Amino acid sequence: MSNTSTTSLKELFLNGIIKENTIFKLALSLCPSIAVTNNLKNGVFMGLAVLFVQFMVNITISLIRKVIHPKVRLPIFMLVISGWVTVTSMVMAAFVPDVYAKVGLYIQLIVAFASILARAEMFASKSSVLPSMADGLGMGVGFLFALTVISFFRELVGKGSLWGMQIVDTKPLLIMILPAGGFFAVGILMAAFNWIDSRYRKGAASSR
Amino acid sequence: MTGRDILKITVTLVVFYVIGGFILAFVYAKASPMIYRNNEEAEKRALKGLMPQAEDISKLGDWSIHDKHAKYFIAKKGGETVGYIIQSFGKGYSSYINTFIAVDKDFKVQKINILSHGETPGLGDEIEADSFRNQFRDKDLEHLKVLKTETKEYIQAISGATISSRAVTEDAVKNGVAFLIKTVKEGGGGDVKHEHN
Repeated sequence: MSNTSTTSLKELFLNGIIKENTIFKLALSLCPSIAVTNNLKNGVFMGLAVLFVQFMVNITISLIRKVIHPKVRLPIFMLVISGWVTVTSMVMAAFVPDVYAKVGLYIQLIVAFASILARAEMFASKSSVLPSMADGLGMGVGFLFALTVISFFRELVGKGSLWGMQIVDTKPLLIMILPAGGFFAVGILMAAFNWIDSRYRKGAASSR
Repeated sequence: MTGRDILKITVTLVVFYVIGGFILAFVYAKASPMIYRNNEEAEKRALKGLMPQAEDISKLGDWSIHDKHAKYFIAKKGGETVGYIIQSFGKGYSSYINTFIAVDKDFKVQKINILSHGETPGLGDEIEADSFRNQFRDKDLEHLKVLKTETKEYIQAISGATISSRAVTEDAVKNGVAFLIKTVKEGGGGDVKHEHN
């Protein structure tokens, strides 16, 4: 686990995107990710919603971490997460109904995200506000990045379109937008991500 | 664990949940009237969009399908009836699909609109796409049938979402149109309770 006193905020932010990427490295929250990444638009909106909730939950947990009794921390984390999800969805439904009509479905799914609970437990409950913000932002951006890549790949290969616009006139591999194809896509991209990451590390180590 | 610990834990939990409850109640109290208004406006816009040629759309009555409450409307232009709009529900793959159907005075479907649903994102939610919904234009009761093959005469299923396509076509739309024919045409209008099997 990263030590907050020695690592800079920038490193914390990058940690969530590369070293501890929720999907490609930690393999958390795969189920909801596979469910929504069969087109690019869904992937991006889901990623943005998670980014926001992760950021706010990390801040809240970090602020109240000293008054939480360790034995009941999980029910309180769940309260904070579901509270933020509910508030976000109600405020959006009231003020931006057009946007809510498109993303409301995803926002409510976030309650069940293991990755958000994991960050609250592993990081925010042990760190002060600023590092928690950096961590939440990094984890959220990393998640958004992963969902964007996966949904880009799946929509293009599965439906031949991007953001609902037809690119090629056929559906090359329909299985890619079905749940089973989601596992294939995540597996292939996870392998690619780790391959690039390890090559980059080898390169960095040998040039030193 | 001592009695003091148990007390402390209980108090922390209660305090947090009461605060959380108050925050939620406060946000809900502020947001719910706005959400209600938004929904009402969305319904009005949806009705107008379904039958742009109508000057006046007014509620005709209530009916129920899948134990859900739904409404139907009459659309008039210059005192003449130009068609009807009916709300209906279809039992889909993972949700009830809330549908509005506009028919002309001969009970041929003009347009359908999916108001809300909880079908699988990326597959079932294609029932909202124009390419699917436009197939319903000028279909009468006999032609509201889903085929998996290419068809112009009937409704072509969305690949990967046959259950959702069926739910809209053979459940929501078909039952809605059948109800309208039964009550408005043969029953002369009025609040007849629809028995759905």
